[in-house]
Amino acid sequence: MITVVAGPCGAGKTTWILQELAQMPTLAVYVTPGVDPVPIDATRVAAQFPQVEIFHQQSETELLQRLAAGVPAYFEIGFQLETDMPLLEARPHRRVALAADENRDDDWQLWADKVIRGNQSTLDLQSAQLWRAPLSGQVFDPPSLDTFWQELIQGAYGELHRAKGIFELADGQAIHLNFVDSLPGIVYTELNLPRWVQGRPQRFSGIEVVGQGLDKGAIAATLKDCYLSDSLLAAHQTTLRDSLSLEAS
Amino acid sequence: MNIAVLSCIHGNLAALEAVLQEIDQQSVDKIYCLGDLVGYGPYPNEVVARIRERDIPTCQGCWDEDIVDGLNACDCSYPSLLAETRGRLAHEWTNQEVTPETRAYLANLPLTLQQDSLCFVHGSPHSQHEYLLPETSAFIAMERVLATGADTLFCGHTHVPYLRHLEDSHLTLKVVSPSTQSPIPSTTPLPTLKRIINAGSVGEPRHGRPNATYIIYSTDTQQAELREVEYDYAQTCAAILEKGLPAIFAWRLSKGLEYAEKADDPTHVCER
Repeated sequence: MITVVAGPCGAGKTTWILQELAQMPTLAVYVTPGVDPVPIDATRVAAQFPQVEIFHQQSETELLQRLAAGVPAYFEIGFQLETDMPLLEARPHRRVALAADENRDDDWQLWADKVIRGNQSTLDLQSAQLWRAPLSGQVFDPPSLDTFWQELIQGAYGELHRAKGIFELADGQAIHLNFVDSLPGIVYTELNLPRWVQGRPQRFSGIEVVGQGLDKGAIAATLKDCYLSDSLLAAHQTTLRDSLSLEAS
Repeated sequence: MNIAVLSCIHGNLAALEAVLQEIDQQSVDKIYCLGDLVGYGPYPNEVVARIRERDIPTCQGCWDEDIVDGLNACDCSYPSLLAETRGRLAHEWTNQEVTPETRAYLANLPLTLQQDSLCFVHGSPHSQHEYLLPETSAFIAMERVLATGADTLFCGHTHVPYLRHLEDSHLTLKVVSPSTQSPIPSTTPLPTLKRIINAGSVGEPRHGRPNATYIIYSTDTQQAELREVEYDYAQTCAAILEKGLPAIFAWRLSKGLEYAEKADDPTHVCER
């Protein structure tokens, strides 16, 4: 079965797919086109379900082979993308829309076979700005990241609708931060990945911000002020390795 | 006698003017200032000039000292890399902005002021940089008050006002006798009531609103009244942008957030 999931920004598409994957003990495929070089949702899915194969491009040979073999597949379509996918024209699939109001006559709901109640979205697509940045290799000072994130979600850098990111921390852990303006609080999740204790992490991290009137330069500059230098990172990692070896002994 | 106590103005002239105006409408006999006249805000020289015009006894704050002696911070000054970067930017800007006259005035400020049983400091009697938080251990808090010989210690530096009573305290010494190896406790009750009164901040509040805070204290009734004063903070925000200070300072001021520094570890003892 192929399931194509679409909906407004922050509606809960990835969260719904994760719930579906949790009920699926077999091999599955997750396809998220148009997100390179910042595959935040794909990294989150891969960390939680290592058995799920991730594809960013629709035309990859391996993907076509999996679909032909009937492996369950979830396509997540970003809010900014067209829902028509040539790859799926000749393949049977179900269309699922995440939307706050099941009676609303919007494009996603007209397109969908099934509508799942999702989070409210107040984003004006006409004036919305999307900003993404890969942060791979950068490690964050946790209190600095906390200050930045609080400023970001409270509107210091523009009117924020949605923010999500994967960040490497000084203690070797990678975390996922998730904010939607219609939901209370921030969702903070430690990703199920090994601690990175030597050198700069050689795995993906990055940020995506959606809003209006965003000061992208200020966001990028503030993020940079939160990075650990090589010497600070080395000092943290030395302490971390000592601590982990003590725990192991 | 009524005294007004204000602290942590941080170059915010509009906030200082509003507080002084309100004080003038109260029956206040004397004003004390707990320092940090400069730093982060756009009008360091003007704030110093206003304090001098009014002849307000003032003790030296950590920012006042840094502008005179240079940065030499303990960890508590910069709880994050981001705070450190912003603090250094503000320091460099202020360092270039202040006049020799302002710098000389700041250099000659006393570390403590005393009036009868009242003592006035910026952070603590130990250091202008040390935070006396409401959660600081009672032992340390009591030691800091006792060190001054006063009954009431006025401080600032945290940017969040509070009143703390220290009462029913005992100091216990345990002396191990060489013959018995058993401790012989000697308990000394301490004077019944000591107080710490934190005046909050005039120019850089951190209580969630942009309003300035200060204290009016009656030496007759020993009652402290926390005053919160609304002022045109947008004026200061505009000056921050106009003078080339980081725009994030204006945003944080408008939200009642401290520009960059925040101290939240009550167990930390400043090592500066």
